[in-house]
Amino acid sequence: MNQANLILKEISLGYDKDIYTNISASAEAGEMVALIGPNGIGKSTLLKSISSIQHFRSGEISVNSRSIREYAHNELSSIISFVPSQSPRAANLSVFDMVSSGCFNRTNWLGEANESDKRLVLETLDRVGLEGFADRDSSRLSDGEFQRAAIARSLVQQSVIMLLDEPTAFLDIENKLVITRLLGKLAKEEHRCIIFSTHDLQLAIKLCDRIWLMGREKFTEGRPDELIENGAFDTMFKDSNLKFDRTLYTFV
Amino acid sequence: MHYLRRIIKSITELNFRKSYYKIYIAIAATLFILIILNLILGSVIIPPYELLASLTGSDAPQYVTDILWNFRIPKVITALMAGVALSVCGLQMQTLFRNPLADPFILGISSGAGLGVALFVMGSSAFGVKLAGTIFFNLGIAAAAWGGAAAITLLILLVSHRLRENSSLLIFGIMIGSVTSAIITLIQYFSSSSELKAFVTWTMGSFSGLTSGQIWIMSMLVIPGLVMSIYNIKELNILLQGEAYAKSLGLNLERTRRRILIATTLLAGSVTAFCGPIGFIGIAVPHIARLFFRNADHKVLVPATALTGAAIMVFTDMVAQLPGQSGVIPINTVSALIGVPVILFIIMKSKFT
Repeated sequence: MNQANLILKEISLGYDKDIYTNISASAEAGEMVALIGPNGIGKSTLLKSISSIQHFRSGEISVNSRSIREYAHNELSSIISFVPSQSPRAANLSVFDMVSSGCFNRTNWLGEANESDKRLVLETLDRVGLEGFADRDSSRLSDGEFQRAAIARSLVQQSVIMLLDEPTAFLDIENKLVITRLLGKLAKEEHRCIIFSTHDLQLAIKLCDRIWLMGREKFTEGRPDELIENGAFDTMFKDSNLKFDRTLYTFV
Repeated sequence: MHYLRRIIKSITELNFRKSYYKIYIAIAATLFILIILNLILGSVIIPPYELLASLTGSDAPQYVTDILWNFRIPKVITALMAGVALSVCGLQMQTLFRNPLADPFILGISSGAGLGVALFVMGSSAFGVKLAGTIFFNLGIAAAAWGGAAAITLLILLVSHRLRENSSLLIFGIMIGSVTSAIITLIQYFSSSSELKAFVTWTMGSFSGLTSGQIWIMSMLVIPGLVMSIYNIKELNILLQGEAYAKSLGLNLERTRRRILIATTLLAGSVTAFCGPIGFIGIAVPHIARLFFRNADHKVLVPATALTGAAIMVFTDMVAQLPGQSGVIPINTVSALIGVPVILFIIMKSKFT
C-alpha cells in the first residue's frame, strides 16, 4: 500500500457549470498537503471530486498513472479515503462500530468485521489516542475526540491517500495542533499521502510538505517556502487590502 | 443448520459489544404472555385451561375451538406480522432519511394504497357490480391497495436516480403523498355514503376477517421483505454516518435506496393492503427499541424492533377488542390513544434518569 502517486491534470470542478478550472497538482505517499483557499472557492468540491463522491467536469485525476474513473467504487475506496467536514453523529453508535465502518468493503454480508479487522480497529483507536474508547457512545464525544474517531475510521480503510475536509474547523488551539500533528505523523510514519483543507495558514506553512492554493485567480501548488518566495499567497484574496506577512505566515 | 446457528450467533452475540440476550429474552417473554392474553381475552373470555386444551388438541368445548381457530389465532398472526413489518420498515425509513419523524408511509405508500382502495370501492359500484360483503370484496380491496402502494413505489424508483440527495427523495415522496391524498378526497367527494363508509372502515385498520389464504398471501410478501431488510443491515449502518461518507466507501447509494424501497413496499404495502393504514407503530417502535437497547447498530436494532413491534401490536389489538365487551374499536384509535402516552412517558423518563 506504500505507493501512491496522485496526479491532477487540468481539472474543472462543478456539476452543470464550471466553478473552478485548470487545477493541476500532485501529491505523493509520505507527504502532508494542505489545501488552502477562501470560503466557497471549491475546496470541498475538489476533495469530493478526488474521492469520487462527486463528478468533475473535465480533466484527469489519476492514482499510480491509472485514471480514477477506471476504478470500481469499492476498489477506489481501498486507495482513497475521505473524512467529511462534519460527519453527522448517530446517537448510541459506539466508537467501535463507527470506526469499524471503515472496513465496509472487507466485512461479511451483515457488515461484521473479521477478527484481524477487529484487532486493527482497536489498534487504530490506540494510534489516534482514543485508548479505551471502543464502548463509548460516539455521539457524546467532544469535537476533538470525534474528529480523531473519524480519522481512525478512515485509517482502517487502509487507503494510502487520505482526504480530510477541514478536519480542524471548530477545534480549539490545542486540538487543532493535536490533529495536525497526528496527520503529520501518519504521513511520515505510515507513509500515507494526506491532503486536508484548512484555513489555518500558519499551521499549514509550518507543518505541511506541500500546499495546494486555490486562489481567486489561479491554482498554484508548491512547497510552502516556494510559495512564500514567489508571492503566491498575495493573490489568494483578489482585490482586497489584506497583505501576507512573510514572517508571521499570516495575513495582516 | 450450522450456518443458521452462525448467523444467529453473529446477530445476537457480537464481540466487543454488550450482550443483549437478557433484553431480547425479556421482550420475547412479554410477547409470549401478550399472545396468550390476546387469545384468552375478547368479547368472549376463554378460560386458560380450555385454551390449553384446544391448543393441544384435546377435548375442548366447540365454541372455544371455533373462536380460537377461526378468529383469534388468524387475528393474532396478522397482528404479529403487521407489528414486525411496520416497525422494521419504519426503522429503515428513519435511517435512510436520518429523520426521527420518518415512518413507513412517509413516501406515500399508504396514500397510494388508499387511492387504490378508493378507486376500487368507487369503481366496483360505478360498474354496477355488487361486491360489498363478499370474499371478492376483501381480496379486491387488498389487491387494489397493494397495487396502489406498488405504483407509488415504482414512480419514486423511476425518478430516484434524478434525485441526488435523500432529502430530495423525501420531499418528492411527501409531495406525491399529498397529491394522492387530494385525489382520494376528490373521489370521496363524489362517493355515495355506503362507498364512503367502506373506504373509511378500511382506513381505520383491522386485523380480523383475514382468511387463512389471505394470511398466506400476506406472509409470502412480508417474509421476503424481512429477508431483504436483514440483507440491508450492512448498508443501513453506513447510511447512519451520512451520505458523503457512505459514497466515499464505495456504497452505491442508488442501489441501496432501491433495495430499501422495495423492502418497504413488501412490508408496509402488504400490511396496509390487508389491514389498512396502521399508524403510529412504524414511527414509535424503532424509538422504543433504541431506548431499550441503546445501540445504533442495525444488527441489534432490526431484531429488537421486530420483537418490540410484534409485542406492541398484539397488545394494541388486545385492547381494541375491548375484553368482556361485545364491541370492537378501530386499531388506529387504540394505537394513538394508548400508544402515544406510553411513548411520551418512556421518552421523558429516559431523559431524566
